Amino acid sequence: MALIMNLKIINTLKRIDIRWVGTPVIILASAFVTNAIIMLLCNYNPLEAYQAAVSGAFGNGRKFGETLVKSTPFLMAGLSIAMAFRCGIWNIGAEGQFLMGALAATWFGTKLAPLFPETPWIAVPLSLGIASLAGGIWGLIPAVLKVTRGVNEVISTIMLNYVAIHLMNMMIDGGPLQEASQRGPQSDRIAEWVFLPRLFPPHRIHLGIVIAVLLAIILTFILFRTAFGYQLRAVGEGAAAAEAAGISIMHNTLRVFFISGALAGLGGAIELTALTRRLYLNFSPGYGYTAIAVALLARLNPLVTVAAALLFGALTTGSYSMQRTVGISDKVTFVMQATILLFVIGYSSVQLFRKRPSVA
Amino acid sequence: MFEEILSATIRGATPLLLAALGEVISQRAGVLNIGIEGMMLIGAFFGMVGSFYTAEFAMFAPWFGLVTAGVSGLIAAALFALCAIKLRGDQVIVGTAMTLLALGLTEVIYQRLFGETGMAQGVPAFQQIEIPLLSEIPFLGRALFSHNILVFITFLLMPCVYFFLYHTQVGLRIRACGEHPKAIATVGANVLRLRTLCLLFAGATAGMAGGYLSLADVPYFTPGMTVGRGFIALAIVIFGKWHPVKACGAAFLFGLGTALDARFQALGWGIPHQLWLMLPYVLCLAVLAGFVGRAEAPVALGKPYGESE
Repeated sequence: MALIMNLKIINTLKRIDIRWVGTPVIILASAFVTNAIIMLLCNYNPLEAYQAAVSGAFGNGRKFGETLVKSTPFLMAGLSIAMAFRCGIWNIGAEGQFLMGALAATWFGTKLAPLFPETPWIAVPLSLGIASLAGGIWGLIPAVLKVTRGVNEVISTIMLNYVAIHLMNMMIDGGPLQEASQRGPQSDRIAEWVFLPRLFPPHRIHLGIVIAVLLAIILTFILFRTAFGYQLRAVGEGAAAAEAAGISIMHNTLRVFFISGALAGLGGAIELTALTRRLYLNFSPGYGYTAIAVALLARLNPLVTVAAALLFGALTTGSYSMQRTVGISDKVTFVMQATILLFVIGYSSVQLFRKRPSVA
Repeated sequence: MFEEILSATIRGATPLLLAALGEVISQRAGVLNIGIEGMMLIGAFFGMVGSFYTAEFAMFAPWFGLVTAGVSGLIAAALFALCAIKLRGDQVIVGTAMTLLALGLTEVIYQRLFGETGMAQGVPAFQQIEIPLLSEIPFLGRALFSHNILVFITFLLMPCVYFFLYHTQVGLRIRACGEHPKAIATVGANVLRLRTLCLLFAGATAGMAGGYLSLADVPYFTPGMTVGRGFIALAIVIFGKWHPVKACGAAFLFGLGTALDARFQALGWGIPHQLWLMLPYVLCLAVLAGFVGRAEAPVALGKPYGESE
């Protein structure tokens, strides 16, 4: 039994490894062409727009640094999604888990840290740890509902995203975390010794980028080189077969949901402690949803997710520059993300998953 | 005050119910349409556009708007059907893509057509009508029978959907599609076509529900104006246990929540209004977990159907 499964997994991986180079290129090309058509229909010049996007994202060192900065939340949330989807868990809740992480970091940075001596080397790891824990616990809610009550995680995580958004708003808009002056719906700035260091001030490039890339490497190792990763993938490939081979679905569901939530939560904390340094309404412009496109484009491979996140970061900084030069709304990135997702579906149903209609 | 709360409840419940009615049909057929939020947003935008460009027809303009809202929702649903039913893509991913697409596309086109100044403030909208005699009933009359026409249409649509789903042969087939598609296929029904049609219906109602927001609720469009109402409609379907009449009850409950919230805010009572906003989602979770009566989802919900099965 285990042998057959092993072969099946190896075969799947082979197929993925052979094709992942070619297909994303085709997907991206299709998406860029589609967007060019949309821009033409809206009477914008697509060539001029793309030119502006490229120079805005990669034009010089400072711009590229900003692209890296924008990529980080996509990478963290993308890793969160990739781990969950690999295990066959449809965690749509990275958005909420991201916010809970940011909320926990805010609480720590504004309320708890000021009570203790100013020691960054304790405070910074502690804030990231608490945020990961908060994200992980938020991820455990749908996991527990799933294993004990059989609740479909797609719906429960969507609902929990909205609970998280309103919970966050409640805390910073009239709640205990609102700024002391009570002027706007935002928190106070976190204490200075909780700041995640920036590497080359005044540039915004920060330590969180390094952490995220290191995590991508570690997760790749865990996923493909450890027993835990093997179990996780086995459950994702076929829950019934994995269970027959003695792998506990329940334990894997709980563990993976916690890890997935913790990664997203850490992403929220990095964004907060390194960049914004305070929490405000609409803190996340949908990172958790966009991350689904990031992870799928990367074929749920943590290492490839780094490249996909970089692309999405470039789309973001590129869209700002498109807005400045061509005048198109920067929300065009959402259109881009959506078309990439749709082409991912189109191409995977054409080739890779033809024989397995229930996956992606 | 009671009158006002009841009236506000009905106004708040209408778009939720309208979208939920379509979603009930599509989910009973086995399609989990989480793109409903995006379809509503698309409907809200194109509804406003339709009314704006036909403004010269005065009182007919909002009707044009309603049609463009419904048709744009239908087109979005057709795209969904292509990806999720024809290509058998995962419904969750297609739905996410749909929501992202709507967010981006509506804002890009809105900015192109109207700039950031909002030229389209105040398009021709549905006016409140008072049903003669009925609206003169003391206490309840004005609250129940003095609304814009879409409210009445929606509440008339609800029993139609119920009758269609539970008392016609097509309705039976649709429900079978969501429970055991293979069984219904063996007796000669075309599962893919039925699911596609149900999804198109859901798209049209979601689009019109969006149109309600920009043609009746307020006479303009703002980017992202649905603010999660599509997902509340999703919660209503579940809280209403996939039944149109119970969904109506759920829509009322959530509409009442919004109305009471506005009232408490006005009175300055110390209940954080985000608690009210959270309520639909929390109740939905409670129902799913079986804390408030067990809800059984259609067995084949969310599973693509293909020849290999």
